[in-house]
Amino acid sequence: MIGCYDFCGHYEWTFEWLNRLGGHELVKAYWDEAIHGDSQAHASKLIGEKGFEGMKEYWGPTLADEGAVYERTVTDDVFRIDMHECPSKGFLLRNDLNQYKDYCDHCMGWIGPLMKASGFVIDHEHNHCGQCWWEMRRKDDATPGSDAGALSGQHDVRLRPEWKSTLTDHYERATDPDDKTAVS
Amino acid sequence: MPVAANAESPLPYADTKPVGHADFYFAVNATFRFILQRYGYTKLVDYWRDMGGGYYRPVGERWHSRGMTGVAEYWRAFFAAEPGADVEVIELEDEVRLEVKVCPAIRHLHEHGREIVPSFCQQCYFVNEAIAQPVGMTVRVCGGNGSCTQRFLRSTADLPPQNLEDIAKAS
Repeated sequence: MIGCYDFCGHYEWTFEWLNRLGGHELVKAYWDEAIHGDSQAHASKLIGEKGFEGMKEYWGPTLADEGAVYERTVTDDVFRIDMHECPSKGFLLRNDLNQYKDYCDHCMGWIGPLMKASGFVIDHEHNHCGQCWWEMRRKDDATPGSDAGALSGQHDVRLRPEWKSTLTDHYERATDPDDKTAVS
Repeated sequence: MPVAANAESPLPYADTKPVGHADFYFAVNATFRFILQRYGYTKLVDYWRDMGGGYYRPVGERWHSRGMTGVAEYWRAFFAAEPGADVEVIELEDEVRLEVKVCPAIRHLHEHGREIVPSFCQQCYFVNEAIAQPVGMTVRVCGGNGSCTQRFLRSTADLPPQNLEDIAKAS
């Protein structure tokens, strides 16, 4: 049986299996159709119907159940997550599992299309070490991503001394995993 | 190949929390549906076999070194980490038998009204057979859709093959 205890391990393995079968476009289609459209249909419904309130309802219990160490900052105009210890990437790092070239892309791979369908855009960075931040804003709000500490204060993951990485990926007003640029 | 995070554990990959998050069963079911709809049943079987022989290869290596005791140890640890499972692991002289009274995946998918891929329960045959076959073992599954019996045996020439009709369609 394929279990849920080590889900992140076989999930990551599956990305590479699909990549070998149909390349990058198939992996992207998997994140969008199977994860966003099917597995996480409950998240799509909540956020599509309730916006920021739906994000609070979805990510509160889910991240807690997954064992994440994170902070959430919500205003009338932005929903921000500072992920200090990603349970998913952390599992892979601890178990030395790295079949696929960039596991962290899967979050933008399913959350991006979800936010696009719900009328939001995303500013985001991840450092491939189990740390990342997200800011979701309505698509007609042109406010850029916040400076470090401006929204979440001392909880901003970018203030951690170990935040800076040579492998950080950066997204601005994005909804697609290919929208990224590297930060040096 | 990946290395075991904890060589003392019957499980090859260790997490910091004792039990997995049941909503991940949604993604397992959705993954099966995605492959099935895009490529058909044969490719889904390939996926299960490749996962058993690849990602789960450390499980087979442990079964090889510890024999049937290792098989029983694995399944006890496995189901202890799956939320809502009710499974009896029976260790006999030449066989380990799982009496799955409540399958945690089917239970969770039912509780949340998810449409289950009809061939969902066949994963337990194809994944487990791919783990077992390289180390001289085999598996036979009977039942499904929430409860089943799984027998882990030494491979012998006179053992009839798995009849897929013995595995219930999930619904």
